[in-house]
Amino acid sequence: MSVNVEISSIFGRYTGNVLNMKVEGKTVRECLHDLVRQFPDLKRMLLDGDGNLMHSYDYFINGESVYPKDMNRPLKDGDKLNIIFVIHGG
Amino acid sequence: MFTAEELQRYDRQIMIYGFGEAGQEKLKKAKVFLAGAGGLGSPVAIYLTAAGIGTLRIADHDKVELSNLNRQVLHWEENIGKRKVDSAAAKLGKFNPGVKIETIAETITEANISRLVGDSDLIVDAMDNLPTRYLLNKTAIQKGIPFFHGAVYGFEGRAMTVLPGKTACLNCLYHGASVPKEKFPVIGVTPAVIGCIQATEVIKYIVGLGELLTDRLLNFDALRMKFNEFKINRDPNCEVCGNKAKRVKKK
Repeated sequence: MSVNVEISSIFGRYTGNVLNMKVEGKTVRECLHDLVRQFPDLKRMLLDGDGNLMHSYDYFINGESVYPKDMNRPLKDGDKLNIIFVIHGG
Repeated sequence: MFTAEELQRYDRQIMIYGFGEAGQEKLKKAKVFLAGAGGLGSPVAIYLTAAGIGTLRIADHDKVELSNLNRQVLHWEENIGKRKVDSAAAKLGKFNPGVKIETIAETITEANISRLVGDSDLIVDAMDNLPTRYLLNKTAIQKGIPFFHGAVYGFEGRAMTVLPGKTACLNCLYHGASVPKEKFPVIGVTPAVIGCIQATEVIKYIVGLGELLTDRLLNFDALRMKFNEFKINRDPNCEVCGNKAKRVKKK
């Protein structure tokens, strides 16, 4: 099952500026783990020691926020997962 | 009622269909609380002043530093070492003497925020840290006044408008997410765009025009020159604006 991922340009330096990619997985967790498998430099940025998305990042599914934030949330073939960094500057 | 000079100054926006003198009057009566006079605060303040907002209350505890000048266009080299609110007020006052500028050189805290915001009609987020943003969001919800969020990082920026009790708030979006407190990379054009988007939202809200960025997060990626939009669903269990949140009735 294939999910489309788009990451923020902020992460471009860790992916050779690849910002759109396909990952394999049935849940948010599986997809993120496949993402860092493909782009290992992303792992320390995105995932904590338990393999969860770090608190300073967020994700949207098919362009929408989801509640509750659950790493085991199932995804469907063709879904789009956007990963963003919680930005704070002003 | 407008002076002949005001009618001339605002002639081009009064001409806009749906704006008119009625819209200008609404701007003239409005009181805006601007939290921050830095990268975002500069364009917000400049364009709200240009548009003829009635009162602009600016809060910022910082002094101008050299490293501010790549983006904080309200401040110049001669202002280094001076309080940002004073630097801002001096420029804005010359730009449009018809706008009342109030300055607050205090750190925004849980203890003073309600007093600082006072009877302002809305809050604009031009902060440089998340904890104060969450505080501003919570205060806006408690006072029942709109909150105009903006944030930047490098070549990326975001904006969202919050209407308390009606639309998703900042906590619905980020759920208290935190980032390490450290200096952030940013180039002036990024807060210029986001600050102008925030000012646009404020003007639209006050005048009653267009569609606001409510329940939507507008994401600007300047490197790809792309705008993304994410739908933000209001969280019914949000501890700030949800069913269980404590409420203070708006006066």
